[in-house]
Amino acid sequence: MASLLATSRHALARRSPIFAKSLVSARFATTQSDALYVPGGPIYKGTVNDPTDFPTPSRMHGSHHWSFERLLSASLIPLTGAAFATSPSVHPVLDGLLGVSLIVHSHMGFDAMLVDYLHPRKFPVLGHVATWTLRSATVGVLVGVYQFNTNDIGLTELITKVWSA
Amino acid sequence: MSRLPVVRLARQFSSSATRALATPVGQKPVLNKEFKIYRWNPDEPAKKPTLQSYTIDLNQTGPMVLDALIKIKNEVDPTLTFRRSCREGICGSCAMNIDGQNTLACLCRIDRNAGKDSKIYPLPHMYVVKDLVPDLTQFYKQYKSIKPYLQNPNPPADGKEFLQSPEDRKKLDGMYECILCACCSTSCPSYWWNQDEYLGPATLMQAYRWIADSRDSHTAERKEVLQNEMSLFRCHTIFNCSRTCPKGLNPAQAIQRIKLELAAE
Amino acid sequence: MLSTTRALGLGRRSILSARTTARRTVQTQSLPPSKATEILNQQRLLRPSSPHFTIYQPQLTWIPSIVNRATGGALSALLYGFSLAYLVAPGTFDSVHVVEFVAGLPDAVKYAGKALLAAPFAFHGLNGIRHLLWDMGKFMSIKGVYQTGYTVIAGTAVGTVVLVLL
Repeated sequence: MASLLATSRHALARRSPIFAKSLVSARFATTQSDALYVPGGPIYKGTVNDPTDFPTPSRMHGSHHWSFERLLSASLIPLTGAAFATSPSVHPVLDGLLGVSLIVHSHMGFDAMLVDYLHPRKFPVLGHVATWTLRSATVGVLVGVYQFNTNDIGLTELITKVWSA
Repeated sequence: MSRLPVVRLARQFSSSATRALATPVGQKPVLNKEFKIYRWNPDEPAKKPTLQSYTIDLNQTGPMVLDALIKIKNEVDPTLTFRRSCREGICGSCAMNIDGQNTLACLCRIDRNAGKDSKIYPLPHMYVVKDLVPDLTQFYKQYKSIKPYLQNPNPPADGKEFLQSPEDRKKLDGMYECILCACCSTSCPSYWWNQDEYLGPATLMQAYRWIADSRDSHTAERKEVLQNEMSLFRCHTIFNCSRTCPKGLNPAQAIQRIKLELAAE
Repeated sequence: MLSTTRALGLGRRSILSARTTARRTVQTQSLPPSKATEILNQQRLLRPSSPHFTIYQPQLTWIPSIVNRATGGALSALLYGFSLAYLVAPGTFDSVHVVEFVAGLPDAVKYAGKALLAAPFAFHGLNGIRHLLWDMGKFMSIKGVYQTGYTVIAGTAVGTVVLVLL
């Protein structure tokens, strides 16, 4: 559609310079919205008769992300129960698995908040800063929990002890 | 002004319909109720939007909020601007936020508790054209994007019509009835924050209406365009949509079914 | 009937124009059709955005939803805060010091702190199960939403008490 318009415009431009001028201004009128477009703003891309477009399809950001989030959340229920029912010193793997799962679950939760409230398309600077802060924090937390679980008593034991302190 | 015959005539057509009643209305007690209505005039754009108060006698008014709005426009303030058409909940024009809930003014009974005022706002988090009229351009553009029409390049052999079993037809019940009033989409917090990319409940339910249609052959393409972070998956199952739908439909369920079908692929 | 009003409407206009002399108060300006989008966009930029969560009725749909996010965020922030603190200063935030610090607190603070942790955990956990049930297609009606909503609130109250007394 767009290419068809473009070719006809060039064809006309070659034929008559007067035509070309008016067509260029007409073209400016339709793309002016695109130039002024700000995500979430009152000006929309294209004319009122153009449909909105879709982002590039990606199952990693679509259904796979969704399914993984649900499976992880669901597995947290038996994992939490098992970790607190057994002794962490006997099952350090269980404690570690719970730690990693909680961190990934938290990261996905924080990430959903950033996508909802601070998406880089709306906040080009703050959005990227927030996204990368979260990513580096999550890496730091993973290292911290790993060290706490190997050098210290582990998360499950810590919570148990603090709760009865 | 009121001496003009046209005004007297207009009163007769107004919602108060005083003279049409068999029993004299004069005997009914006055039941004044205050309506606080969102006002913004594009001719004075620098003026901040305000709530303007109107008090009318409920015993001189029809039962619905739309009756009150029409009475105010006819008799108190002709500059009050709102959309309305069918007055029976089938056109979707008078969608607005009444006492904190999105609904159709024509289907919403006036709360007859005169001690409590009634607040009327335009549909939430929308750009306001004037008073209670929101700009629905983006909403319609999104609806267009999901191709809300039958796509099937192979017509049936007899050249007549696409046949469908009663069971398959039943799958469309609760979805085809949508009148696109935008009450659900504008009640959705996710749509408030991301309406430039997230399709919102109304459009997504119509997307599923065509995904679920056994006669449509473009199911895979229809699903594929939703495979991204924004279009569908900004839905967090909040349920404001189903809660507010003036037609009693359940967009949240349609969206949940899309998610499950995409995950099962 | 409609045509009568129309006719009268026109009649009214003619009455008015008869009273006032034909004097133009509005200046018109000729513009090309290509200006349409520009004028519309100028108008669009002036439009205010209508109010949203400040005027929307608090309902058992979106209030638990945002509470779910807030409780999850708060608990995750605690996990992130502690883990990063341990990463930076393992000597200060080791289990011995943490347990010692908590043990030294007055009982009232201990119980308050426990309640402050138990309530979000109970709510987020139970509401999380509610969400998982929805994702499987269960309780997807408004009735289901309200029944499970009240169940989660009751369960949070009970769960908080049980966890605090643990």
